[in-house]
Amino acid sequence: MRKVFLILILVIINNLFLSACAPKSNAAPAKAVEDYLNALVAKDSDRLTTLSCGDWEDDALLELDSFQAVTTKLDGLACSQTGTDGTTALVLCKGKIIATYNNEDQELDLSVRTYQVIQDGGDWLVCGTR
Amino acid sequence: MGLIQIGASILIALLIGTLTRAARNARMYLLLAFSILAIYWFQALLPLRSFDFWLPSLSLALVVLTWLITSPPGVWRVRQNTIGFLIIIGSVTFIDLSRYVLPEPVLTATTPPQFFQYFVFAVIVGQIIFAFTWASRRSPWAITGTIILLIIILIVLKTPALSLQMSIFFRSLANRSIENASFTDLRWLGFSYIAFRLIHVLRDKSRSHQFAHSGGERDKQMRHLPELSLPEFATYVVFFPSLAAGPIDRAERFAQDLRSDFAISQDEVLLAGQRIFLGLFKKFVVADALALIALNDSLATQVRTTGWMWISVYAYAFQIYFDFSGYTDIAIGIARLVGIKLPENFAAPYTQPNLTQFWNSWHMTLTQWFRSYFFNPFNRWMRGFKNIPAWSMILTGQVATMFLIGLWHGITLNFILWGVWHGLGLFLQNRWSDFVHRRFPDLGGNTRLQPIFQIGSILLTFHFVALGWVFFALGEPARSLMVLRKLFNLF
Repeated sequence: MRKVFLILILVIINNLFLSACAPKSNAAPAKAVEDYLNALVAKDSDRLTTLSCGDWEDDALLELDSFQAVTTKLDGLACSQTGTDGTTALVLCKGKIIATYNNEDQELDLSVRTYQVIQDGGDWLVCGTR
Repeated sequence: MGLIQIGASILIALLIGTLTRAARNARMYLLLAFSILAIYWFQALLPLRSFDFWLPSLSLALVVLTWLITSPPGVWRVRQNTIGFLIIIGSVTFIDLSRYVLPEPVLTATTPPQFFQYFVFAVIVGQIIFAFTWASRRSPWAITGTIILLIIILIVLKTPALSLQMSIFFRSLANRSIENASFTDLRWLGFSYIAFRLIHVLRDKSRSHQFAHSGGERDKQMRHLPELSLPEFATYVVFFPSLAAGPIDRAERFAQDLRSDFAISQDEVLLAGQRIFLGLFKKFVVADALALIALNDSLATQVRTTGWMWISVYAYAFQIYFDFSGYTDIAIGIARLVGIKLPENFAAPYTQPNLTQFWNSWHMTLTQWFRSYFFNPFNRWMRGFKNIPAWSMILTGQVATMFLIGLWHGITLNFILWGVWHGLGLFLQNRWSDFVHRRFPDLGGNTRLQPIFQIGSILLTFHFVALGWVFFALGEPARSLMVLRKLFNLF
């Protein structure tokens, strides 16, 4: 039993090091927005909810509802962090959402919005747009 | 389970079966490790963040808790248990740490929680397990308490209103919008099956302790529930092929297979392959095709004619059979590849001449579970009341059992009606059969009429079951009644 405890303590120490040394990448907020937009066009409401902060959840689902009647796809998506505002990361995306209804395409330019992304529980979550 | 998960499970099973020829312990440890990974991987994405990690972790915590309180003191001195515990902790930790290593979540639907959160969770859960184990050494009530805990969780998960309240509670804790809460937010993978396996062991252990003290002779098999090591027990509860849709095996039978030498052979692979292929065909070809015309809430309001309504009811009857028995075939086939012979769950249920035989051949392991842990003890208890007539005992026992089987599928009015429908059907069949045998004792000997009776009985039983599905398939009693009116042209 003592051996088990020793192994467990070693594992915990090792893990604490690993979690502390995990890279704090600038790409993480941009990746969160890309995941969010992918969930949006896939109309995956559960995933969209897990990628939104509490305050933005209703708006995210409203946005998803607006796409329910059309088929959607992303074209040329590429997001990058452009700056910060306090604890909020600002992310700008290139590309567009193509919404098709009755063989008619409508293109929604993603570069007109800046996404606000915050960190909660270690994860980056979309929390609004500007 | 989707096709990718089934495919991966087949490959892993083949790999485990091939790599661990005649190496019993290695096979068991590998099965345990993969089953743990599978409960995280198979868990669907939930709108409550990280719950796709927390719910499988709680399943494992309940497994360890149940094992500890049903095991004698000093179990940690056995090397196999220590290894099993390290595999469980190591696998869960590995999954959690994957958030720091992998760019995308692979083993869970979303990124696992931070290590600190996981650590706090593990410490709290560890303390609860320790407290229960400590209590179980002093009082048999710890086992009863764990059974009650499992039943409470089942009730909450199966009752839409309670599930919704629970979702609202968790959303408020996480500062999320409660307007978007739904009773489907807590879809805990395989919990119905996990809970029933745990209750089976808890109940048998508590009974075997009682009989050990009282020296009773009844229910001898309960005395034979062997002491299981942690890896044996955990593999039994979360065994990956039967995790999502059963069957509900018995612990002692499963352990016997795990303890037997197994070397995968060409014949075994062929037999398993046939079973898997049959299951895939049933589920993904027949059932999915029938689903297009099978009865559902939207179809119930759209179908106008009696003929089409009957077709949609028949389609549902066959769809649910091919879907469920297809999954069972896949589970049995995959398990064969690693030397585990899971029990059968279906035996041509729609060709049975009466309802009793239907229930002996439909979801057989669930029916056996209820027979062992509710119907038989309930009947024994009722026999204690000398003034109750036999017919009312049969009625109460059968309706109560089927009522509970209905609730197991979900605590809604329609599942209750479905259960009561079958309970009353079983009672009527019992009384009718009794009446016929008394009044017409020679009827069975008439060989000319026998095939006609047989075919008539099969058709009658099938139609009784099919009409019961009208309650099972739909969400509201009013809609079911509307469908029944349409079926019999009673507009």
